[in-house]
Amino acid sequence: MTMSRQGVQPTEVIDRAAKLRFRWNGKRFSGFEGDTIASALAASGEQIFSRSMKYHRPRGILTADYWDPNLMVQVGDDPNVRAGHRLLESGMDVRSQNAWPSLNRDIKAVNGLLGRFLTAGFYYKTFMRPQWLWPTYERVLATFAPGGKIDLDTPHAYHDKRYTHPDVVVAGAGPAGIEAALAASSAGASVMLVSHEHSVGGHLRYSSAAADQAALAELRTALDASDVEVLTDSTVTGRYEDNWLGIVQRNHPVAVERLIKARAKTLVAAPGLIERPYVFEGNDRPGVITSGAARRLVNLWGVKPGERAVVFSANAEGDAAVADLERVGTEIAAVIDGRTGGSISSTRGSSRAVDAVVADGASIGADLLVVAAGWTAPTSLLNMAGDRPVYDPAAARFFPSDPPSNVLATGGLAGDADLDGLRQHGAATGRLAASRAAAVRHRLQARTARALPVDGDEPAWAPDERAPLGRDPHPELYRADTHGMVDMSEDISSKDLVAAAHEGYDSVELAKRYTTATMGPSQGKLETVNTVAAIAEARGETISEVGTTVWRPPYAPVTLGALAGRMFEPVRVSSIHPWHEANNVSVIQAGQWLRPDHYGDPAAEVRNVRRNVGLIDVTPLGKLDLRGPDVPKLLSLLYVNKWMKLGVGRVRYGMMCAEDGVVLDDGVTGRLGEDHYMMSTTSSGAGGVWEWVENWLQTERPDWQVHVTPVTTAYASINVAGPKSRELMSRVCAGVDLDAEAFPYMTVRQATVAGVAGCFMWRIGFTGELSFELHAPAGHGLRVWEALMDSGSDLGVAPFGLEAQRIMRLEKGHFIVGQDTDGLTLGPSTGTGSLIKLDKDDFAGKPELAWAADRSLPLVVAIQPDDPDVVPEEAAQIVRGDTNEILGRITSSRYSPTLNRSICLGQVEPDLAAGGTKVTVLLESGERIGATVIDHHAHFDPAGERLRG
Amino acid sequence: MLLVPCPNCGPRNSTDLRYGGESHARPDPNTASPAEWRAYLYLRDNPAGWLRENWYCASGCRRWFSIERNTATNEFRDPPLPGDKRGGAA
Amino acid sequence: MAMAAIGGRLRRRPPKYSAAALAWKGLRGESWPRVWRDCDLKSSYDAVVIGGGVHGLATAYYLARNHGMTNVAVLDKAYLGSGGSGRNTAIVRSNYLTPEGVAFYDRSVHLYEQMAVELNINVMFSQRGHLTLAHSDASLRTMHWRAEVNKLGGVNSSVIGPDEIKQECPSLDTSDHPRYPIQGALYHPPGGVVRHDAVVWGYARAADHMGVEMHQKTEVTDILCEGGDGPDGKGAGGRVTGVRTNRGDISTPIVINCTAGWASLISTMAGVRLPITTHPLQAAVTEPVKMFLPTVVVSGSLHVYVSQTDRGELVFGASVDPYANYSVRGSLEFTEGLAGHVLELMPGVSRMRILRQWSGLCDMTPDYSPVMGFTPVDGFLVDVGWGTYGFKAAPVSGEQMAEAAATGRTPKLIEAFALSRFDNGELVGEKGAASVGH
Repeated sequence: MTMSRQGVQPTEVIDRAAKLRFRWNGKRFSGFEGDTIASALAASGEQIFSRSMKYHRPRGILTADYWDPNLMVQVGDDPNVRAGHRLLESGMDVRSQNAWPSLNRDIKAVNGLLGRFLTAGFYYKTFMRPQWLWPTYERVLATFAPGGKIDLDTPHAYHDKRYTHPDVVVAGAGPAGIEAALAASSAGASVMLVSHEHSVGGHLRYSSAAADQAALAELRTALDASDVEVLTDSTVTGRYEDNWLGIVQRNHPVAVERLIKARAKTLVAAPGLIERPYVFEGNDRPGVITSGAARRLVNLWGVKPGERAVVFSANAEGDAAVADLERVGTEIAAVIDGRTGGSISSTRGSSRAVDAVVADGASIGADLLVVAAGWTAPTSLLNMAGDRPVYDPAAARFFPSDPPSNVLATGGLAGDADLDGLRQHGAATGRLAASRAAAVRHRLQARTARALPVDGDEPAWAPDERAPLGRDPHPELYRADTHGMVDMSEDISSKDLVAAAHEGYDSVELAKRYTTATMGPSQGKLETVNTVAAIAEARGETISEVGTTVWRPPYAPVTLGALAGRMFEPVRVSSIHPWHEANNVSVIQAGQWLRPDHYGDPAAEVRNVRRNVGLIDVTPLGKLDLRGPDVPKLLSLLYVNKWMKLGVGRVRYGMMCAEDGVVLDDGVTGRLGEDHYMMSTTSSGAGGVWEWVENWLQTERPDWQVHVTPVTTAYASINVAGPKSRELMSRVCAGVDLDAEAFPYMTVRQATVAGVAGCFMWRIGFTGELSFELHAPAGHGLRVWEALMDSGSDLGVAPFGLEAQRIMRLEKGHFIVGQDTDGLTLGPSTGTGSLIKLDKDDFAGKPELAWAADRSLPLVVAIQPDDPDVVPEEAAQIVRGDTNEILGRITSSRYSPTLNRSICLGQVEPDLAAGGTKVTVLLESGERIGATVIDHHAHFDPAGERLRG
Repeated sequence: MLLVPCPNCGPRNSTDLRYGGESHARPDPNTASPAEWRAYLYLRDNPAGWLRENWYCASGCRRWFSIERNTATNEFRDPPLPGDKRGGAA
Repeated sequence: MAMAAIGGRLRRRPPKYSAAALAWKGLRGESWPRVWRDCDLKSSYDAVVIGGGVHGLATAYYLARNHGMTNVAVLDKAYLGSGGSGRNTAIVRSNYLTPEGVAFYDRSVHLYEQMAVELNINVMFSQRGHLTLAHSDASLRTMHWRAEVNKLGGVNSSVIGPDEIKQECPSLDTSDHPRYPIQGALYHPPGGVVRHDAVVWGYARAADHMGVEMHQKTEVTDILCEGGDGPDGKGAGGRVTGVRTNRGDISTPIVINCTAGWASLISTMAGVRLPITTHPLQAAVTEPVKMFLPTVVVSGSLHVYVSQTDRGELVFGASVDPYANYSVRGSLEFTEGLAGHVLELMPGVSRMRILRQWSGLCDMTPDYSPVMGFTPVDGFLVDVGWGTYGFKAAPVSGEQMAEAAATGRTPKLIEAFALSRFDNGELVGEKGAASVGH
């Protein structure tokens, strides 16, 4: 085969005035604007574009379009680029993939000689012994992995996605698709027309017939004048529930690729047909091309595909290819007509010769063999909508059977007709799609409570009264009397498939998995029907009996960059955060929140709180504002303890359990007024508890009068802790008596702080010190914080972070839900079992908590290592002596700067929970150390005198 | 992306809602036997077909509602219309 | 042959797979015999296994091999391996959280290591190492917990930091640039990937050689019972007498339900309710590129796991779909979320293309642990509730279920996974890993 550029063709899409230079495997080449990479190379006489995966056979142009399995190349850092589709750009660095050391001399081609041993699935049957050699075999096999190379320095491409809600999306812009789009638009629908190709027109683009060109011009003019949005070089990649469509746009001016998500009211599938290769010996040699490839090369890019051709034609497209070839001066050595029993057995010849051997054994000298053997119906979008296509042997292809009523097929997918017939069917389909879309739109609006009211009744669901397209008879041509390649990208021959079927892999799916046929980059678009045919032949059944595989999304591959788009993961910070950043903070990620972990020395922060006064920003603490007469009943239902008698101004600690008795959350709730409460939750539990509260209120107790407002971020929360905290607070607070008797432990007061009205504060103490947890309207949080810092410099006020707080809470033995408890920790296991009031009528988890009293459960206990300088890791296991029997684990551990020793919380088996019990802790280093369970959770100030002060 | 018919917000993408699972009545916590209570906690009909289930319109109106969906086809049956008061999930 | 000596009665001598046999047949142009026979359905078997995936086939294989029970039928409504067995991402590991889980999966890894030789088929077990990434101090704490429990169970696991992670897997972004930087990982060297289909075919072939019958396109429409407290003799207190299929009735005293996503539907036929809901699990594969990802990488916080096949494709999985569903169609939001998370981990792969997505049905339980063994209906056994972990457990499940069915006693290794744990409120703690991971 020798391809070359010819004179100007009336239908060509190249601009011969715009020459583009590029590199191919390091050598300089040139082409024209409008060329694909492959057409430019072909015009320059290149015939080998890749090497096959297994046998490293040379491969040339087959279909000259997106689906051509032989035209996968690397362009810069972009692997697996479809050279049959990607437009040439100036300066492109194009390289072949899968060849070593070079495309023309490939050492692995020696595998071709071993073909009889490397049958499909051969690797399952060998390399079992010796087992230790398998990793080596594996590395060798992996070198056969096809495809391009990843450049790990490729920048993360952030590209925004687009959301759209058109009435009608038309997938495919051939004559039927364009007519459907125009008709739907005329009927008042908003329409998006999606063309996989670089320009609309489908097969008319590369037809030299005057009538076709006139029709194409007319359709393009009509489209330009219409309201239809036309996307080119874009593909509807998937149809998901309720016509949710993925569309990839490859020619976006900014994004490498852009993902469009469309909620179409109706979808029109008009993808046309894909030409199917024919299976015979040597069918994968460079120089064997489809009739569509011949027509595209000639008519779109002015490339003569060869000097002397044999054409095997079973349809009008093949006949048209003959005319196209003759026009550019290719000598037609023979036309073999597949409709009258003619066939091709094999090809012969060396280098550029592609002699065709016909049925009687005669050989016809040629350098090009053009094959027009039939069609594959790309039923992909219909499949994804749940349709099961049906095979028609008379037409030798699959047809839609019963797609859902908001998905309509037209064009070649639906049947055959002359151009007028296709256009009429397309237009009728467009009208039907618009009518049904109007009904869907009406229904959506009517079902939305806050939407504008809709006029009139829902339009009737229009019946499908389209005159169906015909089905042209076509011979069933799948394989000649010889074996050849079925799957070019996977190097799977019909012989492999027959052997697999005989071996028992005789359903399509089994054969596909065993041989890997259809698993490559074209995903069956060229191979599926030939695969099915080979299996049917092996089984002695018809194609209908064997059935076909399911087409899975995406229809065309989509880059991870387009799918990822931009990551929307908010970073949450408190209104005080700027102060932390200005003061040398180390932050820690806590879910979406960034929180102060420490300001340099957590131990010093602890000492300062214990000695003077410290401030910590605890804004992420969950806060729910609860109002209404039934709040006490709600609290009693959700917490395990009692709430009916909480007085105004009082605060109480509560623990929540799920219905299975597992600890869910904890925190304090205070009563701010007669019918007004504030609930606090753990920081990580804030969202979950809110939904939990709403669930109970809405589904179990809808008659209760409680209004819930999440106010977590409405308040900036500051814990002021330490023996000098009262003195500090007295300097900034107004309108509140801070005296110990007037504002005792476990009460709540409202106040004006640093001039900020509407603050409330409760006297609680997670740190174990006298402390005031202050909640100020978030907008004033920074002001309040700065006022506290400024007013307390003589008191030694200093900020402290999460780490210091964790140390102090551990010194006090307060457990953290989710750290000291886990997904199976029942309420009584926390060691605060006395909190659980089983005499309440009802509360979440009550039965399980009642039964738990009789069960032997692990318990949360405080533990001190015998060596005060050893801090066991959080996760260190508690084991029985020198054995590996697990009896518990350390859940929290720190070195206490207050006690100058290591301290822990842990979960242990109940028989180890008594104070004074000696346990063995296995450190991560493997060392086993002794430790002692102490008889209360608090390592420090167990009587709680400091915090009550 | 499934469209879930919220009675207030209208059909919404399923990612706007939280799935609440099969609807089933809560036994009386004071009289339920362990077998009854744990059947409520753990056992599910899990049919391949029509199922009454709960959804929470987490990114919209924050209402729980109950609806029948076919788990094989993802159709919703008799979706609640605006103003429909049977929304309360069970 | 060794197989026969171990206990199974060998009905026919299969040609052994080997390089020499490949060469010999290649030279002579001979074809290979069928991997398993096509049989007529008999009216009676000693045991019927429902579900021709890895679990059902492994159970049948071990019934024959370890217990001499060869009059066994495996029934599948489609083709062998058509469910989760051929749809999973083929990851094998034993770095679980609970001692029960660790012991169980460790046995499974051990059986996988021997499988290629034992079944005489190359299942391509590639023990390339397995990284579970932690992006928060809470999840890092869980990794330490798992590592400690693993070590006590004799399983090779340890927590490594970002620098070591970068060494094992250079394509990962271990800097502090991502929204949730990688803080560490649980590194599990024996973990890896297997060629999942080969496991299906290997068990089917080996079971067939010992006389077990595989029946494809054979759908169970009812389970026949007597003496139970429900309608038609089904339910607690009764016993199994047979199964009804689209190809006729079969009488059998033992029915083993190995149907994963369809487990509830089959169990309902015997009057047994399960703590299971069925959710699809999505997966996807890219076009191939040259090898660059040496280990299996999992990120729980980012809901993604990824490995590169020997063919060069990246294979991805995620967490299960949020709502119960029996449809195996793919979803777009899955591929979007997946791509976003993968690029957080490996920004350099943004130009790789997703080639295909699919999903399988997972039988999710409340405690992320399986339900194995006997039920209140005598002779009706379950091997279900596998959720997203089924493939990696197939060999040990088959071995243990075969022992339970053949001996009538629950083997120690699966005691913790009994259905009765849900009556007693004694769940298995694997969910602990999920619960504390936030």
